[in-house]
Amino acid sequence: MTTRREQRLAQTFVALSDTLVDDFDVLDFLTLLAERATALLEVTAVGVILSDQRGGWHPTAASTEDAHLLQLLATQTHEGPCQDSINTSTPVTSYDLSAEHARWPTFSEAAVAAGFRTAAAVPMRLRRRTIGALTLLDTTPSAVDTNGIQLGQALADQATVGILHHRALRREETLVEQLQATLHHRVVIEQAKGILAEAGNLTMHQAFQLLREHARVHGHHLTDLAHSLTTRSTRADDLLEFRAHPSTDTRE
Amino acid sequence: MSQDRRTVLLSRLENRLAAGETASRMSVLCALTVEHLTVSGAGATVLASLADGDGQDPSRGLVHATNEISTGLEDLQLTVGEGPCLDAFVTGGPVLVADLTETHTRWPGFTPGALALGAAAVFSFPLHIGAARLGSLDMYHDRPGRLSDAQISDALILADLATHTVITELEGHASSDAGWLADPHAEIHQATGMIQAQLNTTTENALLRLRAHAYTYSLPLLDVARRVTDRQLRFTDEPDDDQQGTPA
Repeated sequence: MTTRREQRLAQTFVALSDTLVDDFDVLDFLTLLAERATALLEVTAVGVILSDQRGGWHPTAASTEDAHLLQLLATQTHEGPCQDSINTSTPVTSYDLSAEHARWPTFSEAAVAAGFRTAAAVPMRLRRRTIGALTLLDTTPSAVDTNGIQLGQALADQATVGILHHRALRREETLVEQLQATLHHRVVIEQAKGILAEAGNLTMHQAFQLLREHARVHGHHLTDLAHSLTTRSTRADDLLEFRAHPSTDTRE
Repeated sequence: MSQDRRTVLLSRLENRLAAGETASRMSVLCALTVEHLTVSGAGATVLASLADGDGQDPSRGLVHATNEISTGLEDLQLTVGEGPCLDAFVTGGPVLVADLTETHTRWPGFTPGALALGAAAVFSFPLHIGAARLGSLDMYHDRPGRLSDAQISDALILADLATHTVITELEGHASSDAGWLADPHAEIHQATGMIQAQLNTTTENALLRLRAHAYTYSLPLLDVARRVTDRQLRFTDEPDDDQQGTPA
């Protein structure tokens, strides 16, 4: 492992721990984790997939909210390295996605069409359960190596900690409550992205960035801001005004 | 595996309805919940005034319950303004309490009343699709004890069926396919948000309009949602006059 990578590693874990304070937004945290993971593992994109606890899997955070990436992440909830990683509870790597037609016919085709050459997935485990997975996608042929997989596993463990956050795991019920709440908040964020995308003629990625930036500058939770947009307690125009003139916006 | 569970639960619900039970679909679903999860009682509340409300109206409408204790628990939460069902809406996830005697601090008003009614454990599942709040499916047991993982999975599926039931009752036409609630694609929710902005309406109404379009044109919901997010389809105030962009 290079020194530079060690530095980045330290910085990443410091940044993630700094976020894990008493009161933080789990989806903001998972997005930060996905973003940091791309830099640290030197891959193009990272996605976090969570169990809906009734047999389904949902993309919950990604290093970019690019619509095509989110579609690909949704595709691999049925088939691909992520599903295999969840089923086996071990890391799964593909060194050449174009040669994976037999293993993952739908996913490999979609991933190659999106420009990806290699993929890997590491499970998010809690006790004997697998509650989700981290998917790593790269447009270069150099797949994630053993060190990378170990790092990926450490990040996946951090993601699990983040979801359970301040709730002590004394009760088995907490996991269900937290996972379901996280998935619910993700849906609210998608709805809020739609509102902003329509009102400001933005891409979904731009809409998400605006949501996140506005929440950060004003010290609000990402999910609270998303919710107040959907209930129309916050107007889309207020955020679009902020986007046009971020410097004139008064900080609270 | 759980696709099977979903299918099994749905067919059990349909069988009960086909067997001529005259009660509403939601009441039948509550009865199925009691039988399938072996809890003592179940109740569903459906939020009132969806079409006109601002989505924040805390007043609650129709209550379907399998017995008087379930009804009492729903009423109690309304009276004291706290309890598992209200918490479920705040947190966005289910609230699972295996032993009510441990919740005196959490719900000082609700807990003594609930214990007095005869409940020992309570489990509340919000019925919502993101910001579209539709109601809750609540269960109680007369002995303390947690739901098993399998029971929780089935309870979540029953909550999906309940969510779908509320939606179809609002729509006024029956459709037993609740599979769209499990779809991992974000476009359905993004499109709902876009329609909400186009019509300056509530999330609930936007979702109903999206589904109505899919129903009217016999298209998969995800396909319609993608036409919206691709900006090929816009919604206008007149339901029959949704603006198609360049034909695909």
